[in-house]
Amino acid sequence: MPSNTASSSSAPAGSSKSKRPKYSKFTQQELPACKPILTPGWVILTFLVISVIFIPLGVVSLFASQDVVEIVDRYDNDCVPTPARTNKVAYIQGGSDKSCNRTLVVPKKMKQPIYVYYQLENFYQNHRRYVKSRSDSQLRSVKDENQIDACKPEDDVNGRPIVPCGLIAWSLFNDTYALSKNNQPLTVNKRGIAWKSDREHKFGKNVFPKNFQEGNITGGGRLDANKSLSEQEDLIVWMRTAALPTFRKLYGKIESDLEKGDTIHVTLLNNYNTYSFDGKKKLVLSTTSWLGGKNDFLGIAYLTVGGICFFLALVFTIMYLVKPRRLGDPTYLSWNRVPGGGR
Amino acid sequence: MNAMNAPSKRSTLEKKLDKLIITIFCVLLTMCLIGAIGCSIVTDREDLYLGLQKSDWEYHNRLAIGFFTFFTLITLFSSIIPISLYVSIEMIKFIQSTQFINRDLNMYHAETNTPASARTSNLNEELGQVEYIFSDKTGTLTRNLMEFFKCSIGGISYGCGVTEIERGIAQRNGLKVHEEERSTGAIREKGFNFDDPRLMRGAWRNEPNPDLCKELFRCLAICHTVLPEGDESPEKIVYQAASPDEAALVTAAKNFGFFFYRRTPTMVYVRESHVEKMGKVQDVAYEILNVLEFNSTRKRQSVVCRYPDGRLVLYCKGADNVIFERLADGMDDVRKVTREYLEHFGSSGLRTLCLAYRDLDPETYNSWNEKFIQAKSALRDREKKLDEVAELIEKDLTLIGSTAIEDKLQEGVPNCIETLSRAGIKIWVLTGDKMETAINIAYACNLINNDMKQFIISSETDTIREAEERGDQVEIARVIKEEVKKELRKSLEEAQLYMHTVAGPKLALVIDGKCLMYALDPSLRVTLLSLSLNCTSVLCCRVSPLQKAQVTSLVRKGAKKITLSIGDGANDVSMIQAAHVGIGISGMEGMQAVMASDFAIAQFRFLTDLLLVHGRWSYLRICKVVMYFFYKNLTFTLTQFWFTFRTGFSGQRFYDDWFQSLYNVFFTALPVIVLGLFEKDVSASLSKRYPELYREGIRNSFFKWRVVAVWATSAVYQSLVCYLFVTTSSFGAINSSGKIFGLWDVSTLVFTCLVIAVNVRILLMSNSITRWHYITVGGSILAWLVFAFVYCGITTSRDRNVTPVYYFPLSISFVVLCFLFVYNLQISFSLQENVYFVIFVLMSTFYFYFTLLLVPAVSLLGDFIYQGVERWFYPYDYQIVQEIHRHESDASKADHLEIENELTPQE
Repeated sequence: MPSNTASSSSAPAGSSKSKRPKYSKFTQQELPACKPILTPGWVILTFLVISVIFIPLGVVSLFASQDVVEIVDRYDNDCVPTPARTNKVAYIQGGSDKSCNRTLVVPKKMKQPIYVYYQLENFYQNHRRYVKSRSDSQLRSVKDENQIDACKPEDDVNGRPIVPCGLIAWSLFNDTYALSKNNQPLTVNKRGIAWKSDREHKFGKNVFPKNFQEGNITGGGRLDANKSLSEQEDLIVWMRTAALPTFRKLYGKIESDLEKGDTIHVTLLNNYNTYSFDGKKKLVLSTTSWLGGKNDFLGIAYLTVGGICFFLALVFTIMYLVKPRRLGDPTYLSWNRVPGGGR
Repeated sequence: MNAMNAPSKRSTLEKKLDKLIITIFCVLLTMCLIGAIGCSIVTDREDLYLGLQKSDWEYHNRLAIGFFTFFTLITLFSSIIPISLYVSIEMIKFIQSTQFINRDLNMYHAETNTPASARTSNLNEELGQVEYIFSDKTGTLTRNLMEFFKCSIGGISYGCGVTEIERGIAQRNGLKVHEEERSTGAIREKGFNFDDPRLMRGAWRNEPNPDLCKELFRCLAICHTVLPEGDESPEKIVYQAASPDEAALVTAAKNFGFFFYRRTPTMVYVRESHVEKMGKVQDVAYEILNVLEFNSTRKRQSVVCRYPDGRLVLYCKGADNVIFERLADGMDDVRKVTREYLEHFGSSGLRTLCLAYRDLDPETYNSWNEKFIQAKSALRDREKKLDEVAELIEKDLTLIGSTAIEDKLQEGVPNCIETLSRAGIKIWVLTGDKMETAINIAYACNLINNDMKQFIISSETDTIREAEERGDQVEIARVIKEEVKKELRKSLEEAQLYMHTVAGPKLALVIDGKCLMYALDPSLRVTLLSLSLNCTSVLCCRVSPLQKAQVTSLVRKGAKKITLSIGDGANDVSMIQAAHVGIGISGMEGMQAVMASDFAIAQFRFLTDLLLVHGRWSYLRICKVVMYFFYKNLTFTLTQFWFTFRTGFSGQRFYDDWFQSLYNVFFTALPVIVLGLFEKDVSASLSKRYPELYREGIRNSFFKWRVVAVWATSAVYQSLVCYLFVTTSSFGAINSSGKIFGLWDVSTLVFTCLVIAVNVRILLMSNSITRWHYITVGGSILAWLVFAFVYCGITTSRDRNVTPVYYFPLSISFVVLCFLFVYNLQISFSLQENVYFVIFVLMSTFYFYFTLLLVPAVSLLGDFIYQGVERWFYPYDYQIVQEIHRHESDASKADHLEIENELTPQE
């Protein structure tokens, strides 16, 4: 019966140990907190702030992109002689002369340095089988030259390890471009085209190509066996595999200005086989801004988002003025609305 | 028979979560299937650079390629399955129950020194969705303490206390109730809570009807079956009574100055004060000649006694209708007034009795006594004969007055019940008590009021009684069943009629155990269920413990609603186990209920806190946590999925192994736990002030497929933004020296954007942002950067290993399945150099920072607009409440003072 407890009620937490929980803001769930409410005011303000920040950024990056002059020339098709076009694969695999002349016209003054890229399309450098087919340790140090497990099927030639092994290196791009302006050759500087970290840390200074492209099928470019890997910048660039099947790789840079209207003659050796998988090849000449190459996307995205936000801020303001919803109007509470009107 | 196996309980939300997980699995398999089909179509045999040779099996069998790609993709997309979700939820719930529920000062009962206790951490969020409460009465709603509270004598009402129910009514009508002032020296003891100076200490002598007063007191002191125990002094005596009501009445007599102190087989001794003159005390011995005992058909009790001076009196007390039938003619005034008082007492939630007496002359008595003795010694039908004989003498009574006893409700029960019903919770009372008592209590706790249409299905009808008198068991069963069926059908029809009218009265159902037994029959169960679901309150009286459990299961299984049972005694155990959530009243007698329960609280009123505050918050939090987990894993996996489309479905990883492994356990783990602990939509006091907010839990507003769809859309949108924006914009040169990003640069950039977007999303979805939110969100992003710095800064001598899945598919395909379950914690020890220096390369470009601002902002903008529009045009109730009280600081202190005035934050 509760009589005993009732009689002792006047002395809570008395003689016996009190089980009363200790007060703390944590256990009582009273931690100080900021309670943001997304009121129309805040919504409109946020939109305005975003548009105020984004529109200038968009303008800045669009300007940077507009400064960039870019010449793109697709040559994979044109560089195959007309009679051979019915069977391009046979042509590229055959032994005939692969040289090809292209003429480019400079649309706008291009300030040096002008970067030369090759662009491949429909080339899956990000294919699972491809990406993993390399040996980083072998590339870095001589003593690991036998670490070729990952490199299959381009791991060894008759038991001798290939350096650099793997499909990536094997399929090294080997079209070459010789540029000239008014019959004066334009020097294409091929130094410093790879990321410094790759050059200095991932490719060894004392690792030299061995048994490279000596298998049954030649996948692509050959390497100078007397140059260490860290100096073979084409290879280093190639081996930083691209994210998407359409990609650009730096070929070299021209360290002189080009004027508007200049015609540039390109003598290229169309060696690389992209025909068997319908890959496109393009030659790209481009200047850069502080933000990089021609990249309208960022600028447009910033401007669009900024614009949308500004527009939304306007729309919301107008709605707020035309049909305001009083904040905290109790009639909006579902139990105050007409039955059936609840959400 | 009444025992049941203790079930293990899982919350409904968790069961629903299983469905979500299965859906996620299906999504995963679909994604893998799409990838596998894509792979087997796309894999081009002429892709020389892939080095496929005629000897390779891949060269020939596209089906096999598809098959193995499928498994490769499963490992790749397995991050969609939120494995750490369960661990996180368990952690959150554990802290919720041990730190929040067990330590809530609002649920600490000082008198019994009992804090609330969550005996399981499984069911926290279930507390936020309860729609039906099944409550025991005695000891749960009431304290099981009967107190003499009021009386009326001859047409004058005495006793100036205000019952809790009256106070509740007044409060609801907005009247201020001032604390009752007790007159100085008012006596207060167990069973007696009467305060009126007009009757105390002999003051009754000056009242208009001192003789009637005397009769009333004598009736109280004599007409009972109580046994006194202990010392024969008013302070020390203990009355042993069959019911606490009787004890309360005798105690009342004692306090009025008619102290019953001894009983012998034939005599009752009463120490009477102030009878002949003020202050005089005399011991009087009354000879008890006959006792006509109480039973449920008679509903009255009488005693024939002889005064020392030879006066023969019959004292009778009983239910009002029974007494009124047997009054002598005349005295209509008193009768009318008394009836009014009785009604008034009844509606105040008091248990009333009428008292009457009859002076007998010796001849009448003697002739009757002979009949009585005959009946008493009858061998057959003694009970019935005794009843008949009693009828002969219990007539021509003179009405003395009435008494009113308060079956004291636990503190705050009516308020609590009112709050709970505003929250959309329906409360059923299941009690072993008789119907009248149950109805009384129901009135007292606001479950039933006079505006309600009541359906009463009782076995105490004439038809049934007749059948019982005939005595054939089969016949009785048939008759009762027919009756119950008829009543149920009739009530249901009527109920449906009311349901169709707009402003129909609320409905209440009262049913007793015997009828319930037949109503629970499979053929009638559906009718019973649909009738009772239409009723706002349901009372089941005289039910056995098993029936309590049956009723609970009926609603649980039949109506698929979430149920909660609360009780204090061993007879409630089966009901507690049968419900989704079982609650035991702790701190009183017996531990069985507590041992069987999932939560134990000291007082019924703590249900408000447990359900409306802890339950609601838990529900909200767990929903948000689940949704967030779903979202963040989906977003992450989808970027990988989109990438797969651009890799010729080869199953190439977009992210470095370590990034993927640590995404769940490191870079996005803590903020969501903080969210699960500290999220509050509105404060505790507002939760209780607007109990209607609880309905969102009953409707399961936050865990519907619609909500899942919104989150999924958000995930698709964000993953597309993160993936497409970065891959599109990083196509060309990204710095002034014309360099180009590789795969790992792009993926690391996407990952960085993703970590930022997903973490900041937590802040966007929080209604209450503590400093822990900032710390964990900031910390997670920082952790990612620090990790990236360290991880990208090291090279190892070990070469990256090849994931063997592709090469040893058969031996591994079994492992793959196991893999799935541990994948999120799997740490591959193949340190790769893919990402060597990547973060530094990224950070050396302006492009990186431009993207880092743009991409998370755009991906969050979608959610921001959605939330803004939703709040503006389709606000949730809690959002309106937030807005109403947006200028108030946390009113928690005031709230504390209200509940327990001894609380100070300094403690």
